[in-house]
Amino acid sequence: MTSAAEFTGVTQSYGDTVAVDNLNLQIEQGKLTTLLGPSGCGKTTTLRMLAGYITPSAGTITINGADATRLPPEKRNLGMVFQSYALFPHMTVAENVGFGLKLRKVPAAQRRDVVMHNLDLVGLAHLADRKPKALSGGQQQRVALARAIAISPSLLLLDEPLSNLDARLRVQMRSEIRRIQGETGLTVVLVTHDQEEALEMSDTMVVMRAGKVMQTGAPATVFSTPANRFVADFLGYENFLTQSDGGLITVRPEHLRVTSADRTPQQPGLTVSAVVTDSVHRGVDHIVTLTTTDATGAAVTLVSTTRRDTLSTDDLGLHPGDTVVAQARDHEIVRLTPEK
Amino acid sequence: MRGRPILGSLAVLGYIIMIVPILFVVSTAFTAGDALTFPPQGLSLRWFGEALAYQPFVGALLSSLQLAVVSTLLALLLGVPVTLAIQRGKIPGKSLVEGLFLSPLVVPELVVGLALYQQIMIGLHQTSFVALLVGHTVLLLPYAVRVTGASLALADPAIEEAARGLGASPLRTFFSVTLPLLRPGIFSAGLLSFVTSFNNVPLSLLLQSRQFRTLPVTMLDYVQQSYDPMIAAMSTLILAGTVVIAVVAEKTLGFAKIFGGINK
Repeated sequence: MTSAAEFTGVTQSYGDTVAVDNLNLQIEQGKLTTLLGPSGCGKTTTLRMLAGYITPSAGTITINGADATRLPPEKRNLGMVFQSYALFPHMTVAENVGFGLKLRKVPAAQRRDVVMHNLDLVGLAHLADRKPKALSGGQQQRVALARAIAISPSLLLLDEPLSNLDARLRVQMRSEIRRIQGETGLTVVLVTHDQEEALEMSDTMVVMRAGKVMQTGAPATVFSTPANRFVADFLGYENFLTQSDGGLITVRPEHLRVTSADRTPQQPGLTVSAVVTDSVHRGVDHIVTLTTTDATGAAVTLVSTTRRDTLSTDDLGLHPGDTVVAQARDHEIVRLTPEK
Repeated sequence: MRGRPILGSLAVLGYIIMIVPILFVVSTAFTAGDALTFPPQGLSLRWFGEALAYQPFVGALLSSLQLAVVSTLLALLLGVPVTLAIQRGKIPGKSLVEGLFLSPLVVPELVVGLALYQQIMIGLHQTSFVALLVGHTVLLLPYAVRVTGASLALADPAIEEAARGLGASPLRTFFSVTLPLLRPGIFSAGLLSFVTSFNNVPLSLLLQSRQFRTLPVTMLDYVQQSYDPMIAAMSTLILAGTVVIAVVAEKTLGFAKIFGGINK
């Protein structure tokens, strides 16, 4: 694999707070890599170090094989899209997109062509002469994208670019960004706290916590085999059981099936007896909350979700206090390794 | 105001106290008579003509304008970089630096004036224009720092970062992005500084000389000797000029932002 960028032993600390702790990471050429994690996990700091806005306290960052650790942002040729869009309010859309080209002394006629080509790419060629203030949030975001791409950057960096958009537009922009990445062949690094966004958009996802990488891999792999409890928790696994051998297993709520104690089918996998604590509808799902004890004798809360349209009426007749059996099949059980 | 009679009455009383004296001055300025009395006798513009033809007033007006313009420019030239350093720079003891540049607001002007009189006029044998220029510039610095600071605080730092990322050096970023973002703030700071310098009495009174005397000081001098409607006419002219500046400032940025972004 060819790396477009590489972090080696990178640490960033502010006083006593360590934002990024001994990070080793390779950004693969031509692929979309997502840095995923809750706020404070160090994902934005990592991106800002790559962009040159923050200098690491220790370690090296290379871009296309050359050391860029202390290079100022204007010498890195990276396209960055900010969460707040950060368009120049005193310039038109075309001037915004052409700003980087002007600095590179591209002649006006050619500049106009590149600007229009990139505005075309994001579908906003007709708004070239507007001021940013006259555009909607989604349109501003596209202008920011066109502006970042126009300089033919070695990497495109996206800092939570969709979090200020409404839900529908956000989903639409996900495939739009993927399409643009496909058409331009750009290497993209996306920072997000939205696991759905990461799962849908990434070639590689990097799950971070407290300045450390928890797991790196293809979305499908990370989703089906989370490395540890933190990653599993972040990706929506809700049932965690310690086994008699001390190992920890997890099952997704939609994989945990609840049946009344007298009608339990025999099957290999997990079978635990539990008591219903709650049984409610939430939109298309029916959610049953249970309590049981694991192999160590500790009380554990389990959650089972079922699509309501697949339920028979009998299954809906669960009441708090009922004793039931919760089951999962072998392939639905994920064995976790202890967290580092 | 309905349902709050005490608060409403106080507000009305406040307006009356502020506006009525001004109305007296303005209306007496239009008198056709010879005395500064209310109500005015007849209606005429003669005292405006007299005021504008009175040489000490005209000379002092030009002096005041000269002083206000130059000290405003100096205050902005010093204040804008200070604001940038305070808000965007990585300097230790930022709040101390900010405090230092805001301190002329609390130091009595007579103290500043006396110091400048001793050091610059007596010590360095400079003219009263130089002393006044230094004094007014110091006096205006808090406005320049505070008002452009409010404007900079409203600007998203990511906009400047974006410029850097697109290839602009720090200097280029300042001129292509930061300065245009600050333009309304600088404009307002300039207007406010100009008015503050133009209306200043304590410093101008202390540092005046026969060669250089500002308009407010000259008018004060005039009132002590004679008491005719010409002073009301001159006051009205100044008032009109100040109102125009205030309206322009309000239209360009809004008073709330000018006075430190109270309701941003």
